[in-house]
Amino acid sequence: MTLKKLSELHKLLDNKPFKRLVLAAAHDSQSLGAVLKAAADRIVQPVLIGDEKEIRRLAGEANQNIEGIKIINEHDVEKTSEIAVKMVHNREADVLMKGKVGTSTLLKHILDKNWGLRTGNLLSHFAIFEVKTYHKLIAVTDVAMNIAPNLREKISIINNSVSCLNMLGIDMPKVAVLGAVEMVNESMQATLDAALLSKMNQRDQIKNCIIDGPLAFDNAISLESAIHKGIKSEVAGDTDLLLMPDIEVGNVLYKSLVFFAKAKVASVILGAAAPIVLTSRSDSEQAKYDSLLLAAATAK
Amino acid sequence: MITSLEQLAEIVKDRKDKPRMAVTWAQDENTLGAVEKAVKANMIEAWLFGDRSRIEDIARKLRLDLDLFKLQHVNNEIEAAQETVRLVKSGEADILMKGLIGTDKFLKAVLDKEKGLMKPKAVLSYVCAVDVPDYHKLLFITDTAVLPFPDLDQKVAMAEYAIEMAGKFGIRKPRVALIGASEKMSKHFQNAVDYAVMCKMAERGQISPCIMDGPLDIFLACDKKSVEIKGVDTPVGGDADILLFPSLEACNPFYKGLMLFGRGELAGMLMGTEVPVVLMSRSESEKSKFYCIALSCLMSGKNN
Repeated sequence: MTLKKLSELHKLLDNKPFKRLVLAAAHDSQSLGAVLKAAADRIVQPVLIGDEKEIRRLAGEANQNIEGIKIINEHDVEKTSEIAVKMVHNREADVLMKGKVGTSTLLKHILDKNWGLRTGNLLSHFAIFEVKTYHKLIAVTDVAMNIAPNLREKISIINNSVSCLNMLGIDMPKVAVLGAVEMVNESMQATLDAALLSKMNQRDQIKNCIIDGPLAFDNAISLESAIHKGIKSEVAGDTDLLLMPDIEVGNVLYKSLVFFAKAKVASVILGAAAPIVLTSRSDSEQAKYDSLLLAAATAK
Repeated sequence: MITSLEQLAEIVKDRKDKPRMAVTWAQDENTLGAVEKAVKANMIEAWLFGDRSRIEDIARKLRLDLDLFKLQHVNNEIEAAQETVRLVKSGEADILMKGLIGTDKFLKAVLDKEKGLMKPKAVLSYVCAVDVPDYHKLLFITDTAVLPFPDLDQKVAMAEYAIEMAGKFGIRKPRVALIGASEKMSKHFQNAVDYAVMCKMAERGQISPCIMDGPLDIFLACDKKSVEIKGVDTPVGGDADILLFPSLEACNPFYKGLMLFGRGELAGMLMGTEVPVVLMSRSESEKSKFYCIALSCLMSGKNN
């Protein structure tokens, strides 16, 4: 299956049970706004945890309907995270979202050994873009979570992302391992890792996807550029997933797609017991909404 | 295409412009026997550098006709090495062959930065063409003799040399198997890591045209049935032309096993030098020694 627009993710929710979302520290105008809109569009069924008075005030201010939505009144921000994580742990919720709480606080609870959301997998950030100049949605990882992943971590990041893409109906996603060049260069670790990942994929040690790398950004996304350079690759020009060498490259690419290419983006944290929506303040309301859509589509 | 060593020896016979071979410290029965055979087969002209009286003794003992050779007396092995290398360097000889001189002294002269025979920045390595009755074609293996623990760059050079040699036999795009104990990728095995990198380099055209895969074990490299049974998707597919080994200690016993138990014959030579350099082990069969000289003729710039 090929997806061209983020709005097509709606289709994946058809005939599926409502996904329950819990929002930690819900007294936050931005995330609350996105959640209420998603609830109105029947994408998620939310539970809001936070300062109830403030939540009601913010909803009223934004003219959003909050009738029938469950609110757990909790003023202590730390406590809201704990309750939210425990709800997911106890399978009372399918998606976790961050409100007005620091990422590190929420992560601490997510990683709690007793009632956290660990699965043994590495947590990784997964973003999927709708860019006008590309023929389908394109996923990018990891732009926000893992700083300088080593080979083992890169394998986990690919596995996380591939399962996610599989859930979106993309069966054998084409994975481009990015480098500055498409040639193997001993002094560029990213190109060496790329060669290893390709071979592990060939040997079925990384499954359910087609990996090629190193590929430079241009030949990963443009067949013409790949042909021009004489690269024979199943992936080049038709990439579903771009694996970043490190967070700097990833973060800059993410932001340039958003700011220069006016791309739409949805993102989630993968590798935990449930998808986690951890959007940042700089993300647009639309991006938050689309992230909820992505989380709902990939929640079990 | 040359498909056997016998055919190799036939092809390099009776050429118009025979390569001239300089033999370093020639008073060695093994060497002289093989050289005489090659001269008689009209493959080469030979120029012996050694102790004249000892060469004459051997000639009497082996009933060699010394008129077949040019003979030059030198006082010691160092002088023999320097003189023969100089001769090759200046273009008065086309092939260099080691006689009784110690390998280290011989190689020292070959490797000398100014006066030696190495191509610029080249890696010195050794490639053998092996003819075993039980394999359906010639098998090129490397490195049987020079590089103990080749690193990535050296492995790439080894592959290039083997591809070059296979090319001279008329094999275009040879199948290159990078040999390991298993086909699985593990970052804990440096050789497997190097192999993965090399495969990608070959894919990207950073290595001369070939069909490369590895790590592969010998079965997956040379036995189609094993490939089927194991279900490994490999472009080499049990039909390897070239086997590249991770270390000398793996490769050397492999080829000796083929010679001893597999009724194999070989033709091998040093690679990385400006001209062919013949250097072989004493334990090589009479035939293999002759084939080594034949190979050097094929690989010589002359007659190409």
